[in-house]
Amino acid sequence: MFRRLTQPISPSARREERIFYLFIAPWLIGLIAFSIGPVFGMLGLSFTDWRISLDDLQFIGLDNYSKLFADPIFWTSVGNTLYIVVGRVVFGVSFALLLAILLNQKVPGIAFFRAVYYLPTVTAGVAVALVWIWIFNPRLGILNYSLKQIGIQGPDWIFSKTWVKPSLILMSMFSVGPIMIILLAGLQGVPKELYESAEIDGAGNWAKFRNVTLPMLSPVLFFVIIISVVSSFQNFTEIRVMTEGGPGESSNVLIWYLWENAFIFLQLGIAAAVAWIMFVILMVLTGIQFRVGRRWVYYEADA
Amino acid sequence: MNKEKLSRRDFLKLTAATSTGAALAGLGPLSSIAAAQDQVELTFGRHWEAAFRPRQAEYDEGFMERHPDIKVSITYNTWADHNNVVPAWAAAGTLPDIIYVHGSRATPWAHEGIIIDIHDIVVADEEFNVEGMWEESVRLYRVNGRIHALPYDHGPIILGYNKDLFDAAGMDYPGEDWTMEDMAAAAIELTDPDAGVWGWDGGLDLGNGGGGFFTGAWGAVTMNEDETAMTFDSPEMRDALNHWYKLIHEDGAGASGTERESFPNSQPFRAGVAAMGHIATWSTPSMRALANFEWDVAPTPMGPDGSRYTGAFGSGYGITPTSDKPDVAWRYLREYLSLDGMIFMWSLSGRGSPARPEGLEAWLTSDPAPPSGRYFLEAMFDYAVTGPPFQSLAAAQVSNILSREADLLRLGETTVEEAIATITEEGNAALDEVAGM
Repeated sequence: MFRRLTQPISPSARREERIFYLFIAPWLIGLIAFSIGPVFGMLGLSFTDWRISLDDLQFIGLDNYSKLFADPIFWTSVGNTLYIVVGRVVFGVSFALLLAILLNQKVPGIAFFRAVYYLPTVTAGVAVALVWIWIFNPRLGILNYSLKQIGIQGPDWIFSKTWVKPSLILMSMFSVGPIMIILLAGLQGVPKELYESAEIDGAGNWAKFRNVTLPMLSPVLFFVIIISVVSSFQNFTEIRVMTEGGPGESSNVLIWYLWENAFIFLQLGIAAAVAWIMFVILMVLTGIQFRVGRRWVYYEADA
Repeated sequence: MNKEKLSRRDFLKLTAATSTGAALAGLGPLSSIAAAQDQVELTFGRHWEAAFRPRQAEYDEGFMERHPDIKVSITYNTWADHNNVVPAWAAAGTLPDIIYVHGSRATPWAHEGIIIDIHDIVVADEEFNVEGMWEESVRLYRVNGRIHALPYDHGPIILGYNKDLFDAAGMDYPGEDWTMEDMAAAAIELTDPDAGVWGWDGGLDLGNGGGGFFTGAWGAVTMNEDETAMTFDSPEMRDALNHWYKLIHEDGAGASGTERESFPNSQPFRAGVAAMGHIATWSTPSMRALANFEWDVAPTPMGPDGSRYTGAFGSGYGITPTSDKPDVAWRYLREYLSLDGMIFMWSLSGRGSPARPEGLEAWLTSDPAPPSGRYFLEAMFDYAVTGPPFQSLAAAQVSNILSREADLLRLGETTVEEAIATITEEGNAALDEVAGM
């Protein structure tokens, strides 16, 4: 825009620009109509008493937000969400990184193992959740059966207020296929010469990982962490299929709280407010990550 | 071979006949098109599972034969999803003409304008015998005294028992004189941990219908008559909940919430490992299909003062405001919900719970009806009451709270005192929220 104001551009560049906008137009129209538009539409509706019909909407200012902040279940769901998001991101990304490193080795049959770890990702979420219900079954599940073999009495997993959130985090670690693939691609992009130089300097495996792999992988890790945080906030299938927010409210996360308000209690105005609060939380968290990222993400181009 | 020459007159006759035939044949499709153009499409939002859809298709084919001007088109949701899909349809303005309405949704959906007031249509139709329906079932759909939907099914909840397990233990089957104490004593006696058998299946429900079975015998009441305040915190409720909590968690005679999860649909009774469980008419087809043991039903056991009480609940159909042909929708519903319609759909099919006494009577002759199925009928006539919450705009919230706390009680993750306090506090807060709406 500024360039255009200050520097005249050639007709061919202008034509190229028009073609560029023409090509991205379908995506741009879709983005405005189905993403940005609804986001701001939802903001407007969060200030109304919207239940079902859009006729006779009453503007009620911040009432929906006041109700939310006064509702203890809302705060429970915020706490549960943060617990699960932190757990999923910390353990999920660590596990994905570990897998990526293992699957980056040159051993026979590596393609098979890569496919195995990616498999849960291409399986329908509902099917995966149904399988996990049985894995977590305290009496018949394979998890407690295995623990019993080594003399441990397993917990009640998703049927326990204490264990339901760790269970969901544990389960999420088996769906890290997409971020594992991204990290694997990142690992394969680390120049071999850097490792060779490190070895010449006498670096061991840990030193090479800490001083070569991690810095070179940091932009990819940064990206993976951001998308993991976003996807952890939006995770709905497991809650819907496996716990319905229970036992009690112990797995009631914001997305479930939103859904209950919208489709069970028909309080769509409140649901819109929850959606906006989630949006704001995600924006703030992403902003923090970008700020903190400056300290630990290494971009080769900036070096 | 005698060759006859075709005269000019014969040729003309033949040509005329052929062309007339061709013209008539050509008119055939035209007349079909005209008929199709006259046909009105009636759209439905239903929830039947795949196994019951052929019965529905058979009914609709018969209906369309009787009414060639109507074409019935159905959109099926799963039962679990239907209540979520309907508000989305309503918000999008794409509601079908007729929708399935669970009893708990009638009041909020009427309030939100998802179903219309059909009171005048129903009352004005002299051939439609609304008085012939269970009053308890119609009550679900009266909002401010006016009918907004009509029931197709409504059933009480009574006691089911596994005859094989009683026989193996050499015990008498549950009788008409049983009290809740007798039931608990028998459950304890029937429990055999080594054999993986429980006396009670661990059921403990506080919501519509189930709440009446589990607490009504003690005289406990969940909410006041007009559903504006919780009356859950009472000595009677305490006694009732302690009875079940003790049976499950202290006596070990009922499967706990966790243990129930080991069985399909969380039903140890249907799996044949619990001697007793609570049962409704609508669950008898699955019992018939899946239970590989002899079973029967008995009246709901009496409470400490000898009174008998249980809950009942059901579902119906309503017409939507976006329908541009409510008269056609009513032509369908008046037949579908007539005695003949109910007998075809829910009695003879064995589905259970028709909302008319004669329909339930006819159901007793169907395959899934247990030998003593008449006890369902007796319950409906004598002691079953439609269970709250269903009249309040906060019914969904209160149901959620009741269901959540019942779940925690079954799991042993809360105490009776905590459950009572939470239900009372959160229930009243939800009711206050909608006061005056």
